[in-house]
Amino acid sequence: MSKIETEVLIIGAGVLGAATARELSRYKVDVTLVEKEVDVGWGITKANVGVVCQGRDTLEFRPEYHRTKLLWKALPLMEPLCKELDVPFKRVGAYLMIRNLARKDKLDKLAKRTESLGLGTDTYLPYSELKKREPFISRDIKGGLYDHAIAVVHPVCLTQALAENAVQNGVNLMLETEVEEIQTGDSYFSVRTNQGEIKTRYIINAAGEWVDKIAAMVNADDFVLFPIKGYVGVLDRDCSELAKSLLAILPEEPGDMNIVVPTVEGNLLFGIQLQINRRHDHSTTEHMARKALENVRKIIPEISEKDIINSFCGYLMFRNFEIGWHECEVAMSSRVSRFVNMTIGYPGVSASPGAALEVVEILRNDGLRLDPNPKFNPYRKGIPDFSVLSEKERKALIKKDPKFGHLVCRCEMVTEGEITEAIKRGATTLDGVKFRVRPGTGRCQGGFCGPRVTRILARELGIPETEVTKAGKGSAVVPLRTKQLLEEGN
Amino acid sequence: MVSKVDVAVIGAGPAGLAAAISARERGAERVIIIERAERLGGLLPQCVHNGFGLLYFEKDMTGPEYEKAFVDKANSLKVEFMLETMVIDLNEEGMLTVVNRQQGYKKIKPGAIVLAMGCRERPRGALGIPGERPAGIFTAGTCQRFVNVEGFMPGSRYVVLGSGDIGMIMARRLTLEGAKVEAVVEIMPWPGGLIRNEVQCLHDFGIRLLLEHTITFIHGKRRIKGVTVAKVDRDLRPIKGTERFFPCDCLLISAGLIPENELSKKAGIELDLVTGGPVVDQNRQTSVPGIFAGGNVVQVHDLVDWVSWEAELAGAAAASYADKGKIKRADQIRMVAGENIKYVVPQYISGKDDVTLHLRVSRPGLRANLKVGNILSKRFRSVRPSEMIILDIKAEKLRDARTLKELVVDCKLEGGD
Repeated sequence: MSKIETEVLIIGAGVLGAATARELSRYKVDVTLVEKEVDVGWGITKANVGVVCQGRDTLEFRPEYHRTKLLWKALPLMEPLCKELDVPFKRVGAYLMIRNLARKDKLDKLAKRTESLGLGTDTYLPYSELKKREPFISRDIKGGLYDHAIAVVHPVCLTQALAENAVQNGVNLMLETEVEEIQTGDSYFSVRTNQGEIKTRYIINAAGEWVDKIAAMVNADDFVLFPIKGYVGVLDRDCSELAKSLLAILPEEPGDMNIVVPTVEGNLLFGIQLQINRRHDHSTTEHMARKALENVRKIIPEISEKDIINSFCGYLMFRNFEIGWHECEVAMSSRVSRFVNMTIGYPGVSASPGAALEVVEILRNDGLRLDPNPKFNPYRKGIPDFSVLSEKERKALIKKDPKFGHLVCRCEMVTEGEITEAIKRGATTLDGVKFRVRPGTGRCQGGFCGPRVTRILARELGIPETEVTKAGKGSAVVPLRTKQLLEEGN
Repeated sequence: MVSKVDVAVIGAGPAGLAAAISARERGAERVIIIERAERLGGLLPQCVHNGFGLLYFEKDMTGPEYEKAFVDKANSLKVEFMLETMVIDLNEEGMLTVVNRQQGYKKIKPGAIVLAMGCRERPRGALGIPGERPAGIFTAGTCQRFVNVEGFMPGSRYVVLGSGDIGMIMARRLTLEGAKVEAVVEIMPWPGGLIRNEVQCLHDFGIRLLLEHTITFIHGKRRIKGVTVAKVDRDLRPIKGTERFFPCDCLLISAGLIPENELSKKAGIELDLVTGGPVVDQNRQTSVPGIFAGGNVVQVHDLVDWVSWEAELAGAAAASYADKGKIKRADQIRMVAGENIKYVVPQYISGKDDVTLHLRVSRPGLRANLKVGNILSKRFRSVRPSEMIILDIKAEKLRDARTLKELVVDCKLEGGD
């Protein structure tokens, strides 16, 4: 058990925590980022569909709301950030569509507001025009508003890149470190974790799904969290042509989200079937799956059960939901000094660069000295993605390292070179590798590459294969050797 | 470019090996097998059980023994191999793009191509089973590889979903390894695999088979802790109140095999929606001239012996094609799946030569009357979708059908379901 002293402790390495850590690494300040999981971005970030909202996608983004302000602050930042970190950012555009012409006034209102706020011009297109652009949409759609600016990112890859870059610039990242107790002192907090004690001047609570529990440890929980569970389905790459842009139906009831989202990798996600739920239950249910499929077929009737290769559930953590969807706070706790809560609810990924800047401002205003870090390097090089490289680039890469000539995952075309590089960057589990370079995310879901990636992990980490896990402690892939049960039985 | 290749075979499983051997025997000079794995044999090395070669060699062999017979023959015929080499593209002109460690990135334009990529297993995600997403869920074939090739056991207490052959074989294998197999759960009213596997793998080892049951929930956060199993109604929907919890630390999925045709799609080859494989003629030529296909890439077979035989047809035709630049198409008559027939392979026949039809029924039943147009009829005591029907038709029988464009195959059930 170690004892660590730090100036700023960030709890939770989701997209908010990682973005904040990276932002703070621009300054000469001692930052520690702790994460209870074995990897970064595995909480609510993981189940985010990766849409980069443009602040005008829904009437819910009212200018006076705090989360709208954070989002607007983040708007110009996301694309350059992704460039610096060498993670994909794709402007796919979006159609917000209606199935009933009576709802066109909502779209008009949205378009008018967008224009009056100087956020650009959205065009309304009737069905005949939409059909030309997105030939697979349902005949029941009457028209829709086109927003060219909507983009997508990969939330987990973004978080990994942010964390990697933060570490590169001096942030201390501690994985599998769970905060158990916090004691408030006059000028510092004493934080007990399963890895030892951390003494810190400031705490940034970016614990995502558990942000209220962490806040409660110091009595800074002056809010109630409402977990809204969402179901997302993943479609086979064969379906990629069914939607070029994000397609959504204007909610017919509040919270009735129905979207198809092209991912940065090129396949489609659909959902999001929402329901208020008991937290920590990430299971998919038959009911949610059925509803989501029913819904998505209102957008693209051609999608069928056979096209779904995977599905998952995640949470939106709304704050004080009973007073509306807009409640959001990135602020110093009114009850506890030097303790900052980050509760955004939605849209966390899109607003994260803005939220990180906000935290820096809060700390500066509180008197934390923030001198520029002369060694700060904003650039981080991504792992080469063999599947999208040109012939020339592929040849050069294999010449440099023959491991890039060994394809391990056939569905997503992932090479051994990419897998070993992912492990060098911090992947220690099957999911860690999967979330960095995608083996196992394709249509066979790891049937072919699973045993091979397991073997590469064991080799690179220098551990027996029986200790390789899917996602950290308690999730060994193959915990036993053959014959072990027979020997133990005798 | 690699220097002139007559026949390139994609995949070194039982189909690829048989196709390459047959191409060499038909006079193709240079035959290359391109294989993505680190060794030959495809899935044969992990199939350590017996039951292979009963028809082909008239001998009861294990998978590795069956493999060795073919590998030895391929070696003696100087078939060439490219291992750990992935074909990443195949275009309509029959140009292959391959990648490996040693040679990097290469293009090959052979005289003819045989597709022998086999099939893959349907994963959990595709089944949409509700529940958590813990460790400990494998397809039966992946588990088989871990146990028989890598030397590891994924768990000690299992439930198997689906009663495909690999699932039943693994239930026995794991039992022999000292593990407990709680149940094999099958949604249909009949098992998905062969009767012989139901008897030898499940009954003989006292493993229960729950027909008309399915898994309705997967429990466990980090590692699977158990599954909820429920009985299903006629529409295959779970019946409320019939749920039972089965504890397990591992769930195997054996719920269907899918012919692996991503490359075929890239080449623009026409696929059969029912078999999932290319539409082929009697010679196993696909809709793209010069590209042939055989084995599980065309249709999922029950027995490896049939895989080898079908691939031999493809290999031989590919050799002729490579020699002469083309071969006569054998697509004069279209075979149509009629009453209670799921599919017929080949989809086209010449009408002039002897032909072997591979077909499956849609529903099982007793006293079945199988008819091919009005040229042939055959009676079966019972039929099941999981048991492929093989039908040899002599050329002279087809004489009357030559003027026809189609031949319909029916299988009426006279003894009821």
